[in-house]
Amino acid sequence: MILLPRPAMNRRSLLRGAGAAMALPFLEAMAPSAKAADAAARPRRLSVFYTPNGMMMDPFRPATTGVDYALPPTLEPLAPFKRQMTVITGLGHPQAAAMGDLAAGHGRSCPAFLTGTHVRQTEGSDIRCAISMDQVYARHLGDATSLPSLETGIDQPSLLGSCDIGYSCAYTNGISWLNPTVPLPVAANPGEVFERLFGDGDALDSASRLAQLRRQASILDFVAEDAARLSGQLGASDRHKLDEYLTATRDIERRIQRAAAAPMADAGSLPRPSGIPDSFDEHVRLMIDLQVLAMQADITRVATFMIGREICNRTYPEIGVADSHHMLSHHGNMAEKKTKLAQINRYHMTYFAYLLRRLSEVKDGEASLLERSFVLRGSAFGDSNDHDHMDLPVVIAGGLVPHSGHLTVPKGTTMSNLLLTGLQALGVPTTSFGDSTGALSLA
Amino acid sequence: MGVGALTLALAGMVRSEQPAPRIDPAKAVPALFDDYCSRCHNDIDRTGHFSVDDLKAADLSHGANAEAWEAILRKVGQGEMPPRTKDQPAPELRAGFLHWLQASRDGFAAAYPDPGRATVRRLNRVEYAHAVRDLLALDVDIARDLPQDNSGYGFDNIADVLSVSPTLVERYVAVAGRVARLATGLGTPRPVVSAQVVAKDGSIMNGGRPAYNERSSDLLPLASRGGAVMRYYARAGGRYTVSGWLNANTNNESDRLPEDRVSATIALAPGAHTIGLAFRRTLAPDDTVQTLRNTLDKVPMPVAAPVALPLDVLVDGRRLQTLQVPSYRLSDRYAQQNFPRDVMEIDVEGPFSPTPALDTPSRRRIFLCHPASVAQEQPCATQIITALAHRAYRRPVGQADLAPLMKAYARERQGADFEHGIEAALEALLVSPHFLFQAETDPSGAAPGIVHPITDLDLATRLSLFLWSSIPDAPLLTLAERGRLHQPAVLNTQITRMLADPRADALTQNFAGQWLYLRNLDQQRPDITIFPQFDTRLRAAMARESELFFTHILRTNASLLDFLNSDYTFLNQRLAEHYGIPGVRGTAFRKVALDPRWNRGGLLGQGSILTVTSYGNHTSVVKRGKWVLENLLASPPPPPPPNVPALKESHDGKLLSAREQLELHRADPACAACHVRMDPLGFALEHYDAVGGFRLADAGAKVDADAVLPDGTKFSGLPGLRGVLMAHKDQFTEAFTERLMVYALSRGIVPGDRPQIRAIARAAAADHYRIQTVIRGIIASDAFRLRKTPDGLRIALGGKP
Repeated sequence: MILLPRPAMNRRSLLRGAGAAMALPFLEAMAPSAKAADAAARPRRLSVFYTPNGMMMDPFRPATTGVDYALPPTLEPLAPFKRQMTVITGLGHPQAAAMGDLAAGHGRSCPAFLTGTHVRQTEGSDIRCAISMDQVYARHLGDATSLPSLETGIDQPSLLGSCDIGYSCAYTNGISWLNPTVPLPVAANPGEVFERLFGDGDALDSASRLAQLRRQASILDFVAEDAARLSGQLGASDRHKLDEYLTATRDIERRIQRAAAAPMADAGSLPRPSGIPDSFDEHVRLMIDLQVLAMQADITRVATFMIGREICNRTYPEIGVADSHHMLSHHGNMAEKKTKLAQINRYHMTYFAYLLRRLSEVKDGEASLLERSFVLRGSAFGDSNDHDHMDLPVVIAGGLVPHSGHLTVPKGTTMSNLLLTGLQALGVPTTSFGDSTGALSLA
Repeated sequence: MGVGALTLALAGMVRSEQPAPRIDPAKAVPALFDDYCSRCHNDIDRTGHFSVDDLKAADLSHGANAEAWEAILRKVGQGEMPPRTKDQPAPELRAGFLHWLQASRDGFAAAYPDPGRATVRRLNRVEYAHAVRDLLALDVDIARDLPQDNSGYGFDNIADVLSVSPTLVERYVAVAGRVARLATGLGTPRPVVSAQVVAKDGSIMNGGRPAYNERSSDLLPLASRGGAVMRYYARAGGRYTVSGWLNANTNNESDRLPEDRVSATIALAPGAHTIGLAFRRTLAPDDTVQTLRNTLDKVPMPVAAPVALPLDVLVDGRRLQTLQVPSYRLSDRYAQQNFPRDVMEIDVEGPFSPTPALDTPSRRRIFLCHPASVAQEQPCATQIITALAHRAYRRPVGQADLAPLMKAYARERQGADFEHGIEAALEALLVSPHFLFQAETDPSGAAPGIVHPITDLDLATRLSLFLWSSIPDAPLLTLAERGRLHQPAVLNTQITRMLADPRADALTQNFAGQWLYLRNLDQQRPDITIFPQFDTRLRAAMARESELFFTHILRTNASLLDFLNSDYTFLNQRLAEHYGIPGVRGTAFRKVALDPRWNRGGLLGQGSILTVTSYGNHTSVVKRGKWVLENLLASPPPPPPPNVPALKESHDGKLLSAREQLELHRADPACAACHVRMDPLGFALEHYDAVGGFRLADAGAKVDADAVLPDGTKFSGLPGLRGVLMAHKDQFTEAFTERLMVYALSRGIVPGDRPQIRAIARAAAADHYRIQTVIRGIIASDAFRLRKTPDGLRIALGGKP
């Protein structure tokens, strides 16, 4: 069942007025005043924040459990949000084990992160993963928003020769999977993301955007007939490719029609980003800002962000670390490398804090976006020196679940249990996900 | 350079000129397996995941176990198997076996041609952009707006890997709208700002770096200094404001302050332009670079009134205006006194007071007619749309093709006018699967599994995607429609024409860019504290050298072996200085004859390759060795075993050099098997640091570039390595053919391709290893010319057939 908030007034009445679109559709003007009963009806958001190459676990893991733990160095940037988050240690992804496949780690653990599945080892076209948790929620939401989900990141994908040996680059370029064979591309260019949210330079006001969308929908309609005809002429194995295309066009058409019936999100006076900023700091903040904006305008309710692709080799001269991240993560127990790695971890954590801050600043009715969200921060590994996928550094935040400080779970517990808990908190009526054995209790 | 006779004789190729010993396969093969293979490669041990237990000599006559037999041919042919430490068959026996095996495989392929499986594929972002450029004469950077494609087998044009996600289709839909609008030039565009940030080097340890006293782009005048140029597509004629954000010159160089923004208003005609801002070169520069900086809070102040510097506004190579920009001189105590004025970002805003874009190349291409009355509209629309669809779909179009496009036209025409109708039809065309996908046709009624030549129309598309990364042009299409393209004389003439065409630059950008990992160069981050000399100019120059090198070999049909060893390269002053080569002045690139004392030549002497195979602060013997094995010899090492222990950096309190650390690893037999192949190749390159500069010492110790191959061959340094590679030149030729074939076929190599690869490599070897012989060989091959009718009953689940 799709839970939709009931508007307090007719949406059409908004469009009629002055032609000017609202910067914040329906969230303020149209929503009924928030009462406890209504809280269940407000749109719920999912936000995933991913860091590559694992985590130095000692500076991450709090010494004690429960609510009165002291924040270890890596988690210090999260101090303002300590009461609205839970640190979970002990979770793992058993499905990321080799099970007879090659020795690689990244190629298996990265796609397992949000899917809890054991991927097929291949460098070729026959990749097979599973639908990821964020896409399960997106599917559940159906056409409620004009964008089903937003996948963003910082790194351009597919640096040649630098994906995990034996595993297709598709496995480490992203964490979000539409279905077992379609990975969703990660957008690293803020200009591209801005356009997806608000349209391009020619149609930034809602009237032109509406006309543009209507035309797109009818064109897609004509094209769908064309595609069906072409598909009929192809062999069975080729038809699959066309069918992916057909499904996608029908999906977009439906969304456009839905979006056309609702108030348009207006970029207003927001400047369109011109490209990828030179500085890492500026780039990350911009991508986080765009994600928050998208949720604020209810363009989407599902967002994943990767601060680097898995096996990222970025260096961080701005914090004095000139060695590449992936090399440092194979520290071989050398103190200097471990220190630098922890510095990178902490640096990344400051941006997770930034995300939480932005979400807490944006109002959604009486509460903040953060309170309406399930936020997940994680990595495919704990200590990545030996590709340890059974002791993962997880932090969850947001008002959709209760928080208990530092929670540690029995070794071997699959992270899919937590993903299941997240799905249930988001309102998806499901009792299993990935290799889950039951929802993780957070109380 | 002593090369073992064994290696020479077996270097990947068995020549038919050599009288090879005959063997009786029925007896000799089982005996060979028993004596030399099955102790390890049996069903129980399965060493290297390989067993010979099921293999019989009779397999070869019906193509059974092709993959296994090809692997044997490769490993035994290259002398890798049996391992050095084990018993070896007598040379005549080995030679006879290899001769029989290769001849059998080649014979089977000739008798039963198998072009492999060709799946429907969509155009990748580069191909889409080029198709739009060629279809609509529209010179805009469209690829930037599409998501990056996933790669497979080292390239981003692999049919099966080019997936179709809703995100992607959404982008295609959005881009189609933009392209249609730009091409028709309709609508009253609102003023928008397009910005281009100039790639600049940051300061090092607060020392700052001066802007370079040379021109920053070939598109700027010779006498210019710094600045930048951007490509800009003007949607309409009108006034545009060109603004430059300048460096602050008084304090923090990277601030963008409103007072440092200068603007000029220019008039532009609709269409593509290059817009530049540049200062003028100082003929008597002050070359002192202060590195001191006052770390206290004091803000450095100018010591004198500012001097006015001319900043030129250049459009399409002509100077339209000159702005006067104040430039400050600071006290000598501060590093900033060396920050001459420069441009950090260019903004172009407009159009203001636009006039309709009635005459652009794309409008002329699209509007073959202009209806003078309402009655003329329908026939004119049909004419225009038919012509566009014909080119875009790469074939003659019929009623069924035109119907949806005409519907899109009619619907929009109703609400607006004729030209808007055409725009809508164009948008529909650009989203149509007939444009986005390359779906080949099989003869009607053909049974599954039948092998037949592809149609001329499909051949035209395969050719233009291979050589131009684009759609066929009119001449190619016409020949295809007349059924003449496949005729050898016609085909060869077309290949010559296509390779000479500027569009063949796509082979350099897309094939070489990926084969040589040049695309990685942009994201490489050398440590600027160790390599302060690695600036934006050097990075760009490295990429340019390799691009020009490849293009030169391609266009002059030079020998492939130049990739291994050349007595020339392409340099400009910046790169020559980096290499320590004297006498090269200026920013432009030119061909330079190499003196052997300069330690350069071939791909492995080029900074680009040496840099992308290193880490930011140190070289990697393993990465470089692996690169050579993979990209030059098509012999990649298998993945590392589990539980690879990290290199021990110190032993008994003594810091080990990289060589010593790796020696420890090679002492472990589990690691040694691969590292004995990889490491020597990387060690030979140790004279080149992580940014490709030549060095005699590293970390205080003399560089030791001696290496030993598994077969005992000793060699040293790049000259030695080149000798080894040249001794394997036929293996290299096969490897190059293989890589180019993957790119040409958009799929990975299957065993059935190997005989053809061998044949092409032999042909090239007989023709002085010319590169175009390889290209023509690939196009003439069964895999490229033929197609197997797919099995209708097979349902794809994303798996292998």
